[in-house]
Amino acid sequence: MLNVIDYMPGSTLLHKLNPVAKVALAAAIIAATFLAQSYAMLVGLLALTLAMGVYAGVANRLFTLMKLLVPLALILLVLQVAFMRAGTPVFGFVTDEGLVTGTKACLRLLGVALPLLLMLMVTPLGDLANACVEKLHIPYRYAFTFTTALRFVPVFSQEMNAIMEAQTARGVEYDTNNPFKKLKLMLPLCIPLLLSSVGKTDATALAAEQRGFYLRTRESAYDRYPFAARDYAAFALCAALIALGVLF
Amino acid sequence: MHPIIQIKDVTFTYSGSRRHALENVSLEIGEGEFVGVIGPSGAGKSTLAAVMSGAVPHHFIGELYGACLVDGRDTCEVTLTDVSRLVGSVLQDIDAQFVASNVRDELLFGLENFGVPHDEIPVRMQQALETVGIEDLRDREIATLSGGQKQKVAIAAILALRPRVLVLDEPTAALDPASSTLVFETLREVNRSAGITVVVIEQKVALLSEYCSRVVVFDQGKLVLDGTPHEVFAHGEQLRSIGVDSPRTARVSNSLAAAGLCEAGAPALSVEEAAALVAKVVGAKADGAVASGKRLTFDAAHSSASAPSARAEGGGAVVRFSSVGFSYPGGGASVRDLDLQVFPGEVVGIVGQNGAGKTTLTKLLNGLLKPAEGNVVVAGLNTREVPTSRIARHVSTLFQNPDRQICKDTVLDEVAFGLLLQGISPDEASARAKATCERFGLPLDEAPFSLSRGQRQMVALASVVVGEPQVIVLDEPTSGLDYRECMTVMETVRDMATRGSAVVMVCHDMEVVSDFASRLVVMANGEILGRGTCAEVFANSDLMRRAFVEPPQAIALASKLAAEVSPSFAGLSEVADIVAVAKELAGRA
Repeated sequence: MLNVIDYMPGSTLLHKLNPVAKVALAAAIIAATFLAQSYAMLVGLLALTLAMGVYAGVANRLFTLMKLLVPLALILLVLQVAFMRAGTPVFGFVTDEGLVTGTKACLRLLGVALPLLLMLMVTPLGDLANACVEKLHIPYRYAFTFTTALRFVPVFSQEMNAIMEAQTARGVEYDTNNPFKKLKLMLPLCIPLLLSSVGKTDATALAAEQRGFYLRTRESAYDRYPFAARDYAAFALCAALIALGVLF
Repeated sequence: MHPIIQIKDVTFTYSGSRRHALENVSLEIGEGEFVGVIGPSGAGKSTLAAVMSGAVPHHFIGELYGACLVDGRDTCEVTLTDVSRLVGSVLQDIDAQFVASNVRDELLFGLENFGVPHDEIPVRMQQALETVGIEDLRDREIATLSGGQKQKVAIAAILALRPRVLVLDEPTAALDPASSTLVFETLREVNRSAGITVVVIEQKVALLSEYCSRVVVFDQGKLVLDGTPHEVFAHGEQLRSIGVDSPRTARVSNSLAAAGLCEAGAPALSVEEAAALVAKVVGAKADGAVASGKRLTFDAAHSSASAPSARAEGGGAVVRFSSVGFSYPGGGASVRDLDLQVFPGEVVGIVGQNGAGKTTLTKLLNGLLKPAEGNVVVAGLNTREVPTSRIARHVSTLFQNPDRQICKDTVLDEVAFGLLLQGISPDEASARAKATCERFGLPLDEAPFSLSRGQRQMVALASVVVGEPQVIVLDEPTSGLDYRECMTVMETVRDMATRGSAVVMVCHDMEVVSDFASRLVVMANGEILGRGTCAEVFANSDLMRRAFVEPPQAIALASKLAAEVSPSFAGLSEVADIVAVAKELAGRA
């Protein structure tokens, strides 16, 4: 079972970019998404993210993620429309301004979430940590904490699945179709999950310390991540994207 | 021999615990030794490993008396990192051992941290991968590896650091027999070619006796036996009383020694040794016994049929698989064409390699998976049509890890929980749960998570037994348990079978399987390769080879003796039978 945000090997330009350049690109798209005011710009940024995903060969996974995000976006739309009282009514309680801010909020939600996830799909976690330590001078312990947290997401979700299977086999109705009932049944399981996660993280800390975690410095990493011409091009693109975001 | 680790009168108590985890332990480990550590659960084995690796006193908090010297330096006076330069350790929870997401990064981590010169790193990585035999895994993501492969990656990552001692905590607990042997082969290679001292905590006595140069036995925090495998396993009775198994071959030779037929004190530790010993005991006159062989075999077969055969008691199959197929969307252990019937009162063992589809079969049985082809009918319910939580009223599953099953605050609530879900009134549920807990000797009001691993498994077992289900599914019920706990679990299961439950058991421990299963199903690559009684299946060497299953020692010994000494041994599967036949033949000789 593979997680949707796991690294997907490939040899496209996007894969070859320096991890720092990829982070910058994702950050630039996100910044532009927040700055942009027009539909054209918001849709354009989202289209750019999706196009990059298709180019990098992770389109399937992006669409899987979209399936999870779109319902969230729709909930956001409904809330915005329901609570936005300014503007002229279109029909019922729906106002034109409500619709406008609501749809933009939806686009922004997608526009913020997808670039980051896309960046994770095309970057091995180890490279991401090492490059950030080398180029951005982030202390290694923070980089390690971040990558370990991401690494544990699938481990814990497997653990959660195993617990739910065990409980279902005992007769707890996790196979119910009522989501609220399911949620109520899931709450007591937080305790076993929490216990096993605390145990696991403690063991990982020990394993890391026993392999010289505290000796590590910025120079330790074996791989080096020099910037190439394509990375400078990516930085230029970042600046352009932010400028566009400010203008439109 | 120069001692690399000296443990001097160590007593350790974890903070918050009243009991000493280790008590007055003194132990010297010489450079180049291959030491196996065994003992019942709670004996202090993992604590011993932690003392050697410096995790005690640097990581675990508690009171430490005495001293542990690694290469002459007190672990209390140097940092954990400095101890780790000499002592590499592989933890019990293999998933928690990893610090990176792919194999290459995992190996790089330690090398980078310890400041190995960068031009030396590729050579060290390559050597470590070659020694362990996993060059082909170098660029794989760790999440996609099997249990055995993960274990080897963990060993390679430590090996690359060139420690002088390697400490492993139950490295084969989650592995099938073939992968377990491979891990020990790897350790032997590391020990011999690189000269690294190996200390391994292990429950599988057959592996310990074959690979270790020395075995130490712990019980309740104390060192009780220390010597070569031959010396240690000569104390079969003492080991049994503290809850440690002996290799079956050692039981044969110890029994023969007790009968005065051979010398005591040097037990046979391999099938070859035992066969040679029995041949000597039976003597040259063995030929004369051929004629009477038939009768003896019959007696033995009768005595080993201890599992109830309730098929004769009437009634149809309670579990029926007809041409069942299933495959996971992401690939992995898919199954095809499964046909299987299980009758009330039977214990059916499912054996095969990791990834053969055994767990998939159990999940199809308890309804967690619905078949893609064919039908699974359990207690008259077609699993396709009935929700899993309804099927649970008829089928109870005991999982490998009890912590996934346990979710209540007290043992009593936990055991009663399943009954409440079946719609039984709280008063009755509570009364039945109480009776069951008392039968198992479980503390009613304690929190399940405060109990030991073995006791948590007993709580999980109690909540299976209390519902008196028609079908019991066991997925690796004995892994992580010591010998005594393992026997308690299995005897309870046998008990349930005599009362009419049908039991389906997936188990890697072939000794347990041959002792308790009345019938076997052999799986490989998602298909059923063969089936039959234990003796039939284990004697079929072609089938065993195709399924990558090693027959248990007793059966291997019996078939070797049948071929080389006397046909009277043919078809025997239990130590007692082999001993009885050997005595009888020796008496005639």
